[in-house]
Amino acid sequence: MDSSAWGLLIQGAWTTLWISGISIAIGVVMGLLIALLRVAKIPVLHQLLGVYISLARATPLVTLVLFIFLTAPTMGINLNRNVAGIIALTLNTTAFNAEIWRSAFNNFSKEQREAALAIGMTPWVYFRRIMLPQITITSLPGLVNEMSFLIKGSPAIAVIGVVDLTRVTNRISAVTYDPLPPILAAAVLYMLIISLLVWLQRLAERKASRLAV
Amino acid sequence: MPETAAVSIRNLSKSFDGTEVLRDVSLEVQPGEVVSILGSSGSGKSTLLRCINWLEQPDRGDIRIAGDRIGVSDSGKPMSRRELAGMRARLGMVFQGFNLWPHLSVLRNVTEAPIHVQGLSKTEADERAMALLEKVGMADKREQYPYTLSGGQKQRVAIARALAMQPKVMLFDEPTSALDPELVGEVLGVIKDLSKEGYTMVLVTHEMEFARAVSDQVVFLDKGIIIEKSHPSEFFENPKTDRVRRFLELEAPAV
Repeated sequence: MDSSAWGLLIQGAWTTLWISGISIAIGVVMGLLIALLRVAKIPVLHQLLGVYISLARATPLVTLVLFIFLTAPTMGINLNRNVAGIIALTLNTTAFNAEIWRSAFNNFSKEQREAALAIGMTPWVYFRRIMLPQITITSLPGLVNEMSFLIKGSPAIAVIGVVDLTRVTNRISAVTYDPLPPILAAAVLYMLIISLLVWLQRLAERKASRLAV
Repeated sequence: MPETAAVSIRNLSKSFDGTEVLRDVSLEVQPGEVVSILGSSGSGKSTLLRCINWLEQPDRGDIRIAGDRIGVSDSGKPMSRRELAGMRARLGMVFQGFNLWPHLSVLRNVTEAPIHVQGLSKTEADERAMALLEKVGMADKREQYPYTLSGGQKQRVAIARALAMQPKVMLFDEPTSALDPELVGEVLGVIKDLSKEGYTMVLVTHEMEFARAVSDQVVFLDKGIIIEKSHPSEFFENPKTDRVRRFLELEAPAV
């Protein structure tokens, strides 16, 4: 592989990183909001969100990506490929994250809540100061796991023509007629990205062990 | 004019799933008074205490803290979350299971509410917290996290945390029941000091000798009804009812 092939590969890696990164960032926050709304058990909304989560979790990423990209124009929305990819990845990861947050809510200690209310905290102050810092740390292993699933699933956006880290290997081998080196290099880059996440997860688990006692 | 009672409970009733746990309970706690609520388990004493700060909502009756009704606003509607939080801030509560916040150090457990509820500056809150940690003998552990502490130490921190809001009344819900026997003394010692300093306190406890030593008034609950309410010397030496006599024989045969 020459330097121009490496350049293409790095570009592909960058596309995978930023599209996944934006989806992860939105997905973690949206997942938290949806979990909050579900815990509040607001009628109708609760059921609607339940249906969304079931659908999003059951749909293969490739199918979701194609669905978003193909239906948007029929509703008069002109979607750029990257945006369609981000929307599809976000819809997928949000659903999984919402379930991770929700289980952390449900398992959170009732005693700590009583101590907070008894001392004069409003439910909002309690959520922000006592609950959120702790469920963030306890949810992180699950969230990071989901992040790595999303990154590994992100080649699905290639079906609508986004040139990500996997798709770019095709382009390189189309010129070099030697598909193995770019695929191996891409695998190494995926491993680098995932191992960065795993390292972050270890860090969080070490912090979480303090809270477990 | 009589002084306004620190806590005034009138005709309180409460059921859980059809079982009445409190029936028409009335009780007044004067400022500076220490009141112990005794009774066997299931008698409703913890529920009574938890109604005072509205952690449990009574079905009937009303509770006033220094004259102001808790849980129900002047218009007769349930209080807003903010109003209720304001009322609860006037009451300190100490739980059987300590209920410290594990993600915060000892010092931050104590300063959390003064800073984020009362709006004190960090410096002011630290100063107040350190004085209280000194009082309960935990100042040297201020940077430690709850999981490193013994039960007795956790409970002393929990007491400092409640005191940091400068409450009008302290509520203790079986503060030593979860402790190993050798750790009970250090917690009771702190509570006793508070009673000497004139804190108004309502105490649910199984420590008979302690209740006798610190209380101005002892209340005995049986199946949700107050069946005796008297001075400790009278209560322990001269109980009016057979029920209390039997209870005392079982709980404190040596006394």
